[in-house]
Amino acid sequence: MAEQMPTLVRIERRESDFHLTYDNEEEFSVTYHDLRHACPCANCSPLRNEDETSLKLREQVESFKLHKPSVNPVGHYALNFIWQNGCSNGIFRFERIWALANRRDPDNGKPYVHGAW
Amino acid sequence: MAESPITTHDPKNEEQGPVSPSPQQKKEMEQNYAQMKRKMSMQEIGMKIKHKIMVLSGKGGVGKSTVSTGLALSLAQQGHKVGILDIDITGPNVPKMMGLDGHKLHVEQGRIHPAKGHLGVKVISMAFLLDDPDTPVVWRGPIKLGAIQQFIGDVEWGNLDYLIIDFPPGTSDEPLTVSQSLPNIDGMVIVTTPQAVALLDSRKSITFAESLKVPVLGVVENMSGYTINGVTAANSSVEIAGPGGKTIKSTSDENGNFSVTLDIFKKGGGKSTAEDFGVPFLGALPFDPGFVRGGDDGVHKIVSDPEGASSIAFSAIVKAVQAQISDKPASSLEII
Ligand SMILES: Nc1ncnc2c1ncn2[C@@H]1O[C@H](COP(=O)(O)OP(=O)(O)OP(=O)(O)O)[C@@H](O)[C@H]1O
Ligand SMILES: [Mg+2]
Repeated sequence: MAEQMPTLVRIERRESDFHLTYDNEEEFSVTYHDLRHACPCANCSPLRNEDETSLKLREQVESFKLHKPSVNPVGHYALNFIWQNGCSNGIFRFERIWALANRRDPDNGKPYVHGAW
Repeated sequence: MAESPITTHDPKNEEQGPVSPSPQQKKEMEQNYAQMKRKMSMQEIGMKIKHKIMVLSGKGGVGKSTVSTGLALSLAQQGHKVGILDIDITGPNVPKMMGLDGHKLHVEQGRIHPAKGHLGVKVISMAFLLDDPDTPVVWRGPIKLGAIQQFIGDVEWGNLDYLIIDFPPGTSDEPLTVSQSLPNIDGMVIVTTPQAVALLDSRKSITFAESLKVPVLGVVENMSGYTINGVTAANSSVEIAGPGGKTIKSTSDENGNFSVTLDIFKKGGGKSTAEDFGVPFLGALPFDPGFVRGGDDGVHKIVSDPEGASSIAFSAIVKAVQAQISDKPASSLEII
């Protein structure tokens, strides 16, 4: 948690993944499938709570034809990806993208609870 | 199903009875039509209102309504056309803060017309529906989410620069309904007090906001500190017994004026929560008993004391919000 996150400076959309470059010159790739499976929206997130539904979500995501999404900045802190099919709702905080780049669980192992105030 | 719109003799059709819709079907068609009309009107409302801002908090009583009304009035002071929508069904208190206590819903030709509060701010509140014998039952009780949709679709706001939406505490369905009904919401302002419990809850609301696809515009720390002003001998030191047995020291100026700020709750938590989450910190509002009085006698502190510390704090917060919703590019991120 205390780790300092570098700033994402470049996103290259490739055939099946993003190539990410950070300002400390580290480079990563995140596949479109991995990113879409980690969608933080209220519809997709609860599906990751159980292995079975998580697997279903994965299968669904992998069933979509691969294509380059459009990428829209959200404020100064997140990105939103628009796909031709399936869910485009998730707002991906840069922290989430950083976790995915580093192959860490972006949900930090915590189940999703809708509107848990 | 039917290959041709022309009805020929078809035994299957005859078995199913007459072609004209049954009362049940008719009702469904009417409902669908009303639904469609409402959807269109929501799209239209979405276009007539330039900016829509939701105000939420994790915990109740941290000052959402105070911040909502304050933002609205501060924006109105800048000369903007502003509306405020009070979604709180159980404890709507915006009308009181806007000097509209006891106001009733104004409906004309099936459209709801907002009341005008201080500085011309247009106000719609669930409170306008309460205790009114003519209010259809459909607005209350378990179908409140439908009521909210209806509410949003049926209000005649006219053109607005800003619509501020104030939510009830401790629920999750209202923001979801609103975010699904109103297109292009700019984002959400999260109000917190510097106590640990409130901060913890505001962390949850940040995650929640993102799950609704509503950007977080930032965090406002309310009841941040209480400033006492006083007069004593010139250039002398002053000691005040602060909360938690802490002594707070200050010195007076050459005219004997001094001021000390008491941190009633631990200060700075709003800022660090915002930093932890990488969302903007919009500013802090001081503890100001004038807000409580204003809530009781119906004259908001910003109206009664437009030059006061709280008004100044509000205009700083408004500037920070406006910086977030301006159309400038987010960063130097290169997307290829
Ligand atoms: N900065 C402040 N200084 C002093 N009193 C304040 C401040 N902010 C809010 N209050 C007071 O605290 C009380 C609760 O504020 P408010 O109604 O705005 O909170 P809320 O979050 O909208 O509450 P609810 O969750 O019930 O909707 C009110 O009496 C209000 O006048
Ligand atoms: Mg309130």
